[in-house]
Amino acid sequence: MADLAPQGRFNPWPATIFVILCVLAVLFLLPTVGVLLSSVKTTRDISMGDLWSLPASLYLGNFAEVLGNPAVHRYFLNTVLVTLPATAVSITLGALAGYVFAKLPFRGSNALFLIIVAGMFFPPQVILVPLFRMFNGMGLIDTLWPVIIVHSALGLPICALMMRNFFATVPNALREAAIMEGASEWQVLTRVVLPLSLPALAVLATLQFTWIWNDFLWPLIFTQSDDKRTIMIGIVNLKGQYSVAWGVQGALSLVASLPTLLVFLFFQRFFIKGMTMGAVKG
Amino acid sequence: MEQHNRFWRVVLLAAPLGVFGIFVLWPLFSSFYYSLTDWNGFDPNYSFVGFDNFAKIASDRLFLQAAINTAIWMVAAIVLPTTLGLALALLLDSRVLGARVFKSIFYLPICLSAVIVGQIWIWIYQADWGLLNTIITEVTGEKYKYAWLAKPDTALWSVIVAWSWQQTGLAMVIYLAGLTAIPGDLLEVCEIEGATPWQRFRRVVLPLLAPSTVVVVALSVINSLKGFDILYIMTGGGPFNSSDTLAMHMYNESFKKYLMGYGAAISVVLFLIAMAIIGLYFRQLRKVDRIYG
Repeated sequence: MADLAPQGRFNPWPATIFVILCVLAVLFLLPTVGVLLSSVKTTRDISMGDLWSLPASLYLGNFAEVLGNPAVHRYFLNTVLVTLPATAVSITLGALAGYVFAKLPFRGSNALFLIIVAGMFFPPQVILVPLFRMFNGMGLIDTLWPVIIVHSALGLPICALMMRNFFATVPNALREAAIMEGASEWQVLTRVVLPLSLPALAVLATLQFTWIWNDFLWPLIFTQSDDKRTIMIGIVNLKGQYSVAWGVQGALSLVASLPTLLVFLFFQRFFIKGMTMGAVKG
Repeated sequence: MEQHNRFWRVVLLAAPLGVFGIFVLWPLFSSFYYSLTDWNGFDPNYSFVGFDNFAKIASDRLFLQAAINTAIWMVAAIVLPTTLGLALALLLDSRVLGARVFKSIFYLPICLSAVIVGQIWIWIYQADWGLLNTIITEVTGEKYKYAWLAKPDTALWSVIVAWSWQQTGLAMVIYLAGLTAIPGDLLEVCEIEGATPWQRFRRVVLPLLAPSTVVVVALSVINSLKGFDILYIMTGGGPFNSSDTLAMHMYNESFKKYLMGYGAAISVVLFLIAMAIIGLYFRQLRKVDRIYG
């Protein structure tokens, strides 16, 4: 929309658009900035209506409080214990299924693939009650296991989709040549195809890590005691303890988001690619 | 060779299909089964009640309220993040200075947890020192104190706005991807033929973005159906169930009141709605594919 004015004359469009975008960007950033500000202010300052101004000096007491709280350590550890295995398992399962759908299709494999991909779109509430009963029967309620298992299973649709689409771009001749040389299908997958698929694996790792880390529903349903809670539930629990300690809540939000924020900053390219790929191809 | 292939299909698919079958498909089907029972969540015994739960849905005032709210949420989800995302994509597509930084800013909320987003917006709506009331006070010059989330009139919309803030970035990237697919010479032709910017947008760009629009709208609708976390954090469905959605209502009935059979019945309804939307989505996607190939 920018290149409308005829050549040679002053073109006001780029500057206008830039200004509009700046205004929107400030509006968009405000909520996040509010949290940042609150985390370095004392609760007294905030409740006196001084949240939205720049602080004269940094107050680090909120962070000290959060990082010194043993409950926060526990929540963090639990979240890591859920996120890392569930991310790894869901991607592994997705790679296995994606390989068959891309390289060893069979009659009905497209329909099967569609069923799996459709799993991405359903509200998780649909399977809540039966899963609760199932894990209750297994005696796994109030452990981290159901959370890990369910995330592994629910990650399969996006992982299978993305891996299939990526594997489809790897030439079949490569696989045939390797099999001629006496490689097994397993070796083709692990030694030939997967090493070529690092970009797709990176996309999935960032997406899955972020989603599982940020998840709220599954740990809410499957865990009960405080030392089994993940960080996102922990934040809600601690809200009682720090009910009007807004600054501590701000610091807590920031600390809890730090891993996903870092992933976003460093792997943004993969992240955006995954979001658009998953969305468009779905 | 065929035998070799069959062997490897079984070996490679066993784990993914096993996990998906046991922990996704099986629960999906047993939801239908439990929806016909009065299971209470901890008692191993339960009895069959036929379609009683569904009859109860028909007369449940709270369900109706939740269904209406879900419909409102869906319409808002189509309008708010979609139009805002499209506008941002169009602005950014002009290769403006710092486009990458802008993109990151608009996209950042997507990587935040709904819990954090909810927390942030609770502060914006906070009655005493929240940003919204602070701004209104500044503008009008009168001390303004309104508890946005605690009033039945504004609770639902306040949550929807917060949710849209997070979703806009997603719509934006999908539209940006769609915009890069529009050939530049086509736009040049528009200019040579003397089309106004509005005509160019309305007659050329927007129709060519149809595939992206289908995806954005479908995603927004589906995500609005999933909308639970942020609602749980911000209002919990309150006050007086004024911001309840179907997903929230299902959770409350199952895990607050321990009416798991009834909760399963609600989830069956939720499933059917999701199914209808997904069916519509795939059909539209195919139609768009046929036209724009």
